[in-house]
Amino acid sequence: MDIIFDYIRVDTFWKILLFIHFALAVALLAAVTLQSVAVLMPARQVAGNFVDRSPVPAVSLTTLIIVLYVLQALMGAWIYIKYRIYVRIPMEQLRHWWTLGSFEEKEHVVTMGLFLLPAYWYFWRQPLSAADAGIRKAVTVFLAFCVWYSFIVGHVANDFRGVGAL
Amino acid sequence: MTQTLDVAGRFPQLDSARAIEAPAAETQTRSKVGTFAITFGIAASLLYTVYERLNWPLFTYLPRVNRVEFWLYRSPPAESPPMYWYGWIVLAAASALVLALIATAVPAQWVRRATVFGCALAALWPTSLGALRLFIDWVSFNADYLNSVWIAAIPALVGAAAISYFAPSQWVQRTWTNWLMIVPISGLIVLGYSLQQYFVR
Repeated sequence: MDIIFDYIRVDTFWKILLFIHFALAVALLAAVTLQSVAVLMPARQVAGNFVDRSPVPAVSLTTLIIVLYVLQALMGAWIYIKYRIYVRIPMEQLRHWWTLGSFEEKEHVVTMGLFLLPAYWYFWRQPLSAADAGIRKAVTVFLAFCVWYSFIVGHVANDFRGVGAL
Repeated sequence: MTQTLDVAGRFPQLDSARAIEAPAAETQTRSKVGTFAITFGIAASLLYTVYERLNWPLFTYLPRVNRVEFWLYRSPPAESPPMYWYGWIVLAAASALVLALIATAVPAQWVRRATVFGCALAALWPTSLGALRLFIDWVSFNADYLNSVWIAAIPALVGAAAISYFAPSQWVQRTWTNWLMIVPISGLIVLGYSLQQYFVR
């Protein structure tokens, strides 16, 4: 780490890390939203026997979502160290209780999503089981909720003190 | 002219075609993997909520001094703030991993009943403790000796055992995967409620 800090300032390093965290979050958000839409909205069939495919290849997104989610959880856990000292303490001093409380809940939301990943992977294994269609849909939507909640709350916390914050 | 078709509607054809070809060993492996994944999801979510509420981290990380202490460490002001979140996650994941591995080795019916028992216990234990505390406040004599989590555990254990024993097999079988949603959502409600101090100031 010290070698890196010979070339860039410490706060610049953490801001770059935070920006990568944000960029990966956007990718994860897109993937999990597409998959959720695919399971929530039925595919369309054109006239006759010509069956159209699902508008989004939902199954193919599964591995990407798992990899991005784990990567994001790890990056978030790393950045969380800096947040705990340099962001949360001023947040308490300035009495931003709603932001703080929402961020505390974010920790739990991310964790619950992380624990469901093995089951999520199992339900999306090929061949897809019709018996698991309901729970597959529920787990996917729950993961989408976890990602959306974390993204919004993380963004608000970033606005308090992060990339581009005053 | 267009009409809609549920994607899931096409799955049975795919499944049945593959299921005929699938050898018994593959089906059994798939079933074990499923048991592991589902048990892990339920157990980890439940245990994480319990460990967070009881504040049982496997370790405490002190970011200011970059040090890790085993279990719960109440740091002095110079070393504060302590971080317990990592410790709760690791402990919950490790405990759930053991439970999920055990689940793959025992009959499926036992796993499903044990899941009902665990979830019922998790709901009944705090309920029982709350009821005991109400009772202590209500009675005129000194009943403070009843104010114990271990005394509250007795009716909770009996209730959970009764529910898991008398629950119809079909219901236990049918609802098993549903716990995968019920437990994390309930956990988030409990954990969110515990954060109300931030939202009511």
